[in-house]
Amino acid sequence: MRKAGAKDEILYQIAVNLYLAVIFLIVLLPLWRVLMLSLTPFGHLDNSFGLLVGPKDWTFDAYAQFLSHPAFLRAMRNSAVITLGGTAINLIMTVPMSYALSVKSLPGRKWLNIFVMIPFLFNPGLIPSYLVVTSLGLQNTLWAVMIPGAIGISNMFIMRNFFMEIPQDLTEAARIDGASELKILFRIVLPLSKPILLTIGLFYAVGHWNEFFNPMLYLNDQKLQPLPVLLRNILMGVNMNDYVEYDAFSTSSVQSLKAASIFISMVPMMMAYPWIQKHFVKGSLAGGIKG
Amino acid sequence: MRKRLPLLVILALVVTFGAGAQQKLVDIELWALGAVTEAGAPPDNWVGYQIIRDKLGINLKLVLEPSSPTDQDTKISVAAASNSLPDIFGVNRDMLMKIARQGLVAQVDSMLPMMPIRTRDHYSDPVLLKLATQNKKLVGLPDPGAMPRVEGLVIRKDWLDKLGLKTPKTLDELVEVAKAFTFNDPDGNGKDDTYGFGAWYESTGLSSAGFGRRFDYIMGAFGVAGMWNLESADKFQFNFRDPNFRKAIEFIRKINEAGIIDPSWTAPNKDEFRARWKQGKFGIFWEQFAALHTTANYKDFDKNFPNGELVPIMPPVGPGGKSSNGLDIAGARIYAVSTKAAKAGKVEAIARLLEWMASPEGYYLCGFGVEGVNFKKDAKGYISLEGIQAELAYTHKSQQPLTQLRNMVYINNDIELKVRYPSYKSANGKTIDPLAIWNFFKNSPYTESTGAGMIDPPSNVNDFKRFYDENLVKFALGQQPLNDQTWADFIAGMDKLGAKDVEKAAKAKLIDQGMLD
Repeated sequence: MRKAGAKDEILYQIAVNLYLAVIFLIVLLPLWRVLMLSLTPFGHLDNSFGLLVGPKDWTFDAYAQFLSHPAFLRAMRNSAVITLGGTAINLIMTVPMSYALSVKSLPGRKWLNIFVMIPFLFNPGLIPSYLVVTSLGLQNTLWAVMIPGAIGISNMFIMRNFFMEIPQDLTEAARIDGASELKILFRIVLPLSKPILLTIGLFYAVGHWNEFFNPMLYLNDQKLQPLPVLLRNILMGVNMNDYVEYDAFSTSSVQSLKAASIFISMVPMMMAYPWIQKHFVKGSLAGGIKG
Repeated sequence: MRKRLPLLVILALVVTFGAGAQQKLVDIELWALGAVTEAGAPPDNWVGYQIIRDKLGINLKLVLEPSSPTDQDTKISVAAASNSLPDIFGVNRDMLMKIARQGLVAQVDSMLPMMPIRTRDHYSDPVLLKLATQNKKLVGLPDPGAMPRVEGLVIRKDWLDKLGLKTPKTLDELVEVAKAFTFNDPDGNGKDDTYGFGAWYESTGLSSAGFGRRFDYIMGAFGVAGMWNLESADKFQFNFRDPNFRKAIEFIRKINEAGIIDPSWTAPNKDEFRARWKQGKFGIFWEQFAALHTTANYKDFDKNFPNGELVPIMPPVGPGGKSSNGLDIAGARIYAVSTKAAKAGKVEAIARLLEWMASPEGYYLCGFGVEGVNFKKDAKGYISLEGIQAELAYTHKSQQPLTQLRNMVYINNDIELKVRYPSYKSANGKTIDPLAIWNFFKNSPYTESTGAGMIDPPSNVNDFKRFYDENLVKFALGQQPLNDQTWADFIAGMDKLGAKDVEKAAKAKLIDQGMLD
């Protein structure tokens, strides 16, 4: 009986590991292929399936083409400013709102929740947003990308739910001791909320890092354009200059450039993830416990 | 009085120039279709800004539109919807027609007399003008787009010479040559490794569905190049309804069965196709002149076949006496003036700016940079880079911001093209002149099909095109019998997918837009 149980356990472990290996391959293979494509020299794309093994003679030309672009560093800096500044604004705006809505004694809390849900369910649309941004004089400034959407409603609710899971005894004790709500937030709630701050912060940061549409719409000055806009313009330029020799500054094929642009975009976020991984799982599961 | 004359002249000059200096600058915001958008706009100290300010009294604010047409549309539609269009902006035709119907762009017929040089050089092609016309009024200014008629039929002349064959003129002669290229060892290597025809399956969009453009010279010989018959409103229909269309498919089926076309043509791979003609796998094919004969593209062929010779030939004449190298779909880079700008009285200033760009000063500055710094020009105005520091040459990557507006001044003339497509010597000392090839193609028969580019695809375009493409390929490869019944079934299948409705809607649109009489 015991032997049969051990056997089942082994079979179970094998099945689980096989399943995880398949999932791992499903995730890894496209990434691997993209990486190989990005390292493939011009004119070596005849047998693309062979790329799964690896190109015969690889090159960093596609990366060099992006990295050596005169606007690359500027675009990178703009993206960094948008990501860091935007995420800071997001957190500064989201945390107090989430906390306020998590306090059960807040007068009119139910109505406030409904009020907050309205723009979430009924998006105002592109044109009104554009008019608001332009009439506020934000066009052609990085604020136009960072301020709209300062509070992501779904993120705010996830954070609110996390705050609601913090034992009420702690906050009640602080109130009895005469602590203000601000003091409770900063001294008690936030120190206990690292996972959710990092998780929501990462959600916001990834969104800002990949921001393409709003910069394309609002930033006419090319000196302000972030990385995704520059990468897309380079790729489109290469596409259009298929035949024209002196326009064709590309040293790599469009496929290699696309692949390299994917990797360049991914790297900063991939580097950030391991640092917050241990909090990420806890934080991303937090929202589902209480409604 | 005579003593006072100089004083009066000086006074008059002071008043004149003083008034000029005090004249308020007109702010013009231009959203331009940049030549190399990712390189960025001209720097703030670009000499052009100063000239435009001092000579034209215009304070130019230049914004480069995104390089993707879809992104351009998004940006313009949002600006249009919020009534914040710039004074003048580059716009694609469909979007122009849409915002013109909303009254957001000004009619610009009255601008043409204000710009005599530009009108002569840029706005004199009636087909291009049609592209920017709505209700018989010009709602945009169509600059010449990409070079027209750049593709055509080419043949390995060295193979013809080796086999003692004459340049084929008819479809039948072309088949005979293809057979010889396939079976008579034209490269003399003793191997059975060549074909007559080469192509690749290039079905693109609704205007070039089916086999795509690489077979246009065959379809053209039967008078059915492209998807549409655009000869007149009476004759307007899908070409597949023409009995000659079936004959063209039967012809392609025959060359396929005869084994005189490289069988790799069904693989939709442009790179593979180009690699194969460079490897001498076939001797008759349809190609773009620059892809064929510019230095970078010709070098592999030249290396493999130093005595090889690829020459353009006229498209073959078919049984009905027709011939065509393909579809001539005119394209324009259209600029529109916003109604807002017109109401603000900026039309005259915009015309002044555009006319200056067409003048020698504006043309060379916007097109090539500063003379003596970025380029040199000879007495005839031709461009040279001799003696120009490599990093400062207008062709250098770092100098691209200076010529971002070049597509607003280029008109595909010899000045631009000779420097863009220079002639050079091949490995064995032959002179290769890409522009001579283009001129040959340009003067060969083409099928005027500008209207085809304006036809809206049906909502089920993917199913529609898939059915069309798959059936044609099966007919051509012999995977499906080709007889009266199967052909009728094919047409019935197209009709079931809404072909008649597509024709009806397309005809109405083209008549409405003046593209079909």
